[in-house]
Amino acid sequence: MKNKGLGEFEELVLLAVCILKGEAYGINVKQEVEKHSGRSILLGAVHITLYRLQDKGLLKSEMGGNTEKRGDRRKRLFEITPSGMRQLEAAQDVRQKMWQLIPQLNAGH
Amino acid sequence: MPKKKFNTPKLANWLAAKCINKMYLEEFLGDLQEIYEDRMLVKGKRYARFMYWIDALHLLIGFSSFSLFKTQSNNTMMIKNMFKIAWRNAIRQKQFTVLNLLGLMIGISISLTIGLFIHYETTYDTFLPEIERVYRVNQPNIWTDWTSQMSNTGPNVAVALREEVPEFEEVTRIMSLGSQITNYKAEAKKDKSFEESAFFAVENNFFEVFPFEFSEGNPKTAIEAPNSIVLTQSTAERYFGYESAIGKTLEVKQWDNTWQSFVVTGVLVDVPSKSHLQFDVLVSLNSYQSQMDRDGWKWIWTAFGTYAKVNDGTNMAALSDKIQAIPPKYAPATTERIFNQSFEEFTAGNPWKLTLQPVKEIYLSEEPPYNAFGPVGNPQFVKVFMAIGILVLVLSCINFMNLSTARSSNRAKEVGIRKVLGSERGTLIKQFIFESTLFVAVSTVAALFIVNSSLGWFNAISGKELLLTPYLSQPVFIAVLLVFVLLLGFISGSYPAFYLSSFKPIQVLKGKMSAGFKGKGIRNGLVVFQFTISMTLIICTFFVQKQLNYTSNLDLGFAKENVLQIGNIEQIGFDTERLKTELAAMPAFTKVGKSFGVPPYVDSGDRYKSTEPEAPVVALSNLRVEADYLDVLGLEFLAGRNFDQALTTDQYKVILNEEAVKVLGWRGDDPTSAVGEFVALASGSEDKFEVIGVVKDFNFASVRQEIAPLIFINIDNNKVWDYGAGLSFYSMRLNPQVVASPEDLQAVLDRVEASIKAVDATIPFEYSFLDQEFESTFQEESRMSLVLNIFTVLALIIACLGLFGLAAFSAEQRLKELGIRKVLGARISELVMLFSSEFTKLFLIAMLLASPIAYFLVDQWLSDFANRTPIHIWVFAVSTVGTLAIAIATISYQSLRAAHKNPVDTLRSE
Repeated sequence: MKNKGLGEFEELVLLAVCILKGEAYGINVKQEVEKHSGRSILLGAVHITLYRLQDKGLLKSEMGGNTEKRGDRRKRLFEITPSGMRQLEAAQDVRQKMWQLIPQLNAGH
Repeated sequence: MPKKKFNTPKLANWLAAKCINKMYLEEFLGDLQEIYEDRMLVKGKRYARFMYWIDALHLLIGFSSFSLFKTQSNNTMMIKNMFKIAWRNAIRQKQFTVLNLLGLMIGISISLTIGLFIHYETTYDTFLPEIERVYRVNQPNIWTDWTSQMSNTGPNVAVALREEVPEFEEVTRIMSLGSQITNYKAEAKKDKSFEESAFFAVENNFFEVFPFEFSEGNPKTAIEAPNSIVLTQSTAERYFGYESAIGKTLEVKQWDNTWQSFVVTGVLVDVPSKSHLQFDVLVSLNSYQSQMDRDGWKWIWTAFGTYAKVNDGTNMAALSDKIQAIPPKYAPATTERIFNQSFEEFTAGNPWKLTLQPVKEIYLSEEPPYNAFGPVGNPQFVKVFMAIGILVLVLSCINFMNLSTARSSNRAKEVGIRKVLGSERGTLIKQFIFESTLFVAVSTVAALFIVNSSLGWFNAISGKELLLTPYLSQPVFIAVLLVFVLLLGFISGSYPAFYLSSFKPIQVLKGKMSAGFKGKGIRNGLVVFQFTISMTLIICTFFVQKQLNYTSNLDLGFAKENVLQIGNIEQIGFDTERLKTELAAMPAFTKVGKSFGVPPYVDSGDRYKSTEPEAPVVALSNLRVEADYLDVLGLEFLAGRNFDQALTTDQYKVILNEEAVKVLGWRGDDPTSAVGEFVALASGSEDKFEVIGVVKDFNFASVRQEIAPLIFINIDNNKVWDYGAGLSFYSMRLNPQVVASPEDLQAVLDRVEASIKAVDATIPFEYSFLDQEFESTFQEESRMSLVLNIFTVLALIIACLGLFGLAAFSAEQRLKELGIRKVLGARISELVMLFSSEFTKLFLIAMLLASPIAYFLVDQWLSDFANRTPIHIWVFAVSTVGTLAIAIATISYQSLRAAHKNPVDTLRSE
């Protein structure tokens, strides 16, 4: 399970968790991803992905931050783990390298 | 518990709590609620609830596929396994799967549509708060024989109830003012004038009893002052556009051609269609106080709806008894003054019983048959449709059972092996019931889509306004649907489950048991049952259609075709001769005549008696006509003559129909016996009117009813109280030679309109055709019969789907037999005959069962009609032959295929 790489949606969710910096939970991750990708996403899909990433050891979580709006229920706050960060960077690296190898883009220089 | 501001769908929460691991439940519900609140603020409650469900279900499904959240118990494993086996079986036997699903889908769609229809029809008026405490006061029909009920009372019933009965919190009266011409004089703009046909006068406590929603104005005071007017939103927009209506003045034309001003004091949200009160305009009843005081018929001016709201916790039985003391106490003053009769004489010994009818029941009640203020439903339709809904559901369940048991031979081996491997019977039963539930669930979801997309079409035909989507977000509806799926799945799965799971493994695995044939008796029984239902339905619809045709082609006793009628003539006033001359001069018309009222709407009536001593008092319908009108209708005179406009002495003469001659006490078989005799009003006035003619009976009301006694009064007779009152019409007989095309007709209509506008431009031009008016009395029946036809066809399709499946199965079973027969020299036609005869027997049994049932039902239904179509034997024959033909066509595909198979192929392997 370790080095299978990230799915596209997983990558977006991971990035959103990084952006939200310790405040990430189901709904704001959903909103963040929707905001940047421009597509509409079901809440369940976000949850499933968050837990899968946690299962892979890329995220860790704790409960906290209950508000009245949620009927006094706590939320599960996610945070990226070092191994998650490495995965993200690795994914970024792969892309970067491949982009540089595209001939049309380099021809002009 | 924190106080909940937003109510999330409870059922969804419950489901989630059951299915999601406790560890994660809190955060899910929290997230769901948070997003629910956001959505509710942005897009409204309906959207939020809908999305809540989607999200919750998605979470449930999503998490069951993810190992972390699954409770790794045997249970879920088993369900997964059951699902897998069901799926494999469905895929392997595609034909059966499709037949099963189709049958169930059609069946469930029909019953769902019918369910919506019934829910719609049975929940009238329930949108009003506290409506369960509101009752309408009904009384016997004092104008006829006192046996039927009427929903209107005199104005003083309410007055007496207020005085005598403290149990009533409020008592209020409503009077329909019919059509009123209403005008708005806008400054510097053109007048806006409309004819308002839903125009009621109400009292200031109206909104206490019926709290219709206001969008502007104060319900407490809106209708308090005389000359106040309250409009519905769309009515107000017609006059004032988007300006505020409050404080503006509307003028309403009165019967004497003067205009009365009303000030707008309130605007209502449009009246929902599910209300038994349908109005556009309300005015304060005290605007007409002077009229009400002057016309002192306090107990017999039956133009008022009386409604009462009782106090909470009132004993209704005691209250009903108590109010019976009121009519004998208050009514005598009226009967003595108006009719010169004592209370007992007036009622002829019948109790003047006041009945309290809950408002919620008004729409669907059989008695009283009319509602002066809005629509009445037909309880018969509701019953018939409910029966059809259930029958269709039963049909599709039977299909499912039949197909499942029939294909059991294919699954016998599976059952055997599972049993050998240690499967308990209970597990197998669970498997089969699970499968049928799955089928029902899939079909139900499909049916929801089908119904949702076909409701518009159903509404167009039935004239209703059914909607599915509002129900989808109601937890109760979802719960009912779930229960329905489970129940139907269990019912239709139970027989196959118990039957299949009873197989003995040794026999099955040895291949000895041709399992499919074992349940044949039951299967044939079910086929007979199915076709009995289908044939009964077909025969019944046939007769409904036949009765409708019969009534629309019935000889009414006059030539109803080619008669054009124009209304609103009463607004011209008394002198209409100029218009008549103009109309009579048109070559398109052969005859022009005026009347107050036209068939089939002769609503006016009074109590008469002959002047012989000891003559009975009888209620007669009356119609004010001039001589020419009787010529327009072309009535046949059995004795005497028509009015003669040249003779001024004819002013006080009358003409009777045969029925009136009979009830007034002369000899019905000899109409001449009445000519020259006299009738008088039962109210004891001195005036008497000579009978100068008797016409043959003709239908002047709906053909549903027997022909009632009728008296024609001369249009100039000013000694009968309704002189000059009421709606009047000009009727013209068209000359078919002159008016031969729709363009000609349009030209004629344009000319007539121009003539009327020349007399008075404010009079709205309204025309109708006599034959169409008669047709329209059967409009609802026609619509419903169309819906009935469609449902019947669909029921037949369901039955045929099942039959097709059974035939396919039977063909498979008998392949070898047919092969051997073929080898031995049987011809294909013989094989097909052999194959079909098995099913033909079943149909004949079904027909023998269906015919008497259908006969009984049709006979019952027709007994409501005065003019009923005869029950011909040929209808039964045609329906049977028709069904048989359809059924044989259904199985012929299978039988031909089986008969054409090459015996080499079918006999090669053993």
